[in-house]
Amino acid sequence: MTGRVGHNGEVTVPAPVELDQPDTDFIVELEDPWVTVVWNDPVNLMSYVAFVFRTYFGYTEEKADEQMMIVHEEGRANVSAGRREEQERHVQAMHEYGLWATLERSSV
Amino acid sequence: MKPFKRRRKGGIAAEFEPNEALLLSNLAAQMIELLRDRNGSQESSADPLAQMVGMSGPIMPPEDPVLNRLLPDAYRDDPDNAAEFRRYTEQMLTSQKVTNAQALIDALIEGGLSEAEHSRARIEVELNDGAAIAWMKTLTDIRLALGIRLGIETEADMELLEQEAEEYERQTLDIYEWLGFVQETLVEAASR
Repeated sequence: MTGRVGHNGEVTVPAPVELDQPDTDFIVELEDPWVTVVWNDPVNLMSYVAFVFRTYFGYTEEKADEQMMIVHEEGRANVSAGRREEQERHVQAMHEYGLWATLERSSV
Repeated sequence: MKPFKRRRKGGIAAEFEPNEALLLSNLAAQMIELLRDRNGSQESSADPLAQMVGMSGPIMPPEDPVLNRLLPDAYRDDPDNAAEFRRYTEQMLTSQKVTNAQALIDALIEGGLSEAEHSRARIEVELNDGAAIAWMKTLTDIRLALGIRLGIETEADMELLEQEAEEYERQTLDIYEWLGFVQETLVEAASR
């Protein structure tokens, strides 16, 4: 850090730098900006949806069942979060399994 | 049908009556047709390399409601991103689905399904874990397709249909429910 020399020769303490509002979007992007959402549908079997969550995402039986019930009861669940490319791969994989999935920005 | 069971040595096996095996095979063949109609037979060939070389697929979602459910938009309320995603991924997704449907047909043929009529022998299939997942995926695609044709959009639609299906819907509904049973036993066996 550098100081400034004033008119009288004394060294002044640098004024606090004024910052713009922090760029929160950027900070969020370093964390978990994109989520894979699985939506409820009336066709897929509950056992199959839980199976997909275990097999593809490697969830424990307990977590897979819990996520499946959130989809079933609330209509949707955020099943994964991370980089956009990664979440796009997950969405494509879900489509191959026949689950209705979309990608969106995390609202956190 | 004798439901799917995991064998001690690891395979997942089931037995189908000849007419059941033929039905499954026909439905899977129709699924392949439908997917090829979307992209043309060339693009739907199961060749990942060809897919990677020619990465410029369709950008508009399919108009056909069945294809629209099988190949849905990856972005909701965001047509630009949805189109871009579709352009790069739809042909790959389509060919994966074709490969899965073909795996089901192949396993039935291996189990003794033949074109010859009046085959009386039961068709015995034995699947490894990979083939079991391909079966689940394609059974799901077929059920999604039948679900759209039956107008099942909500769980209430399904209940209503079970109570008062028209005569012409009854047969499709029976097939839809039987496929659900096949799927259920397969998922259960594969989970062990």
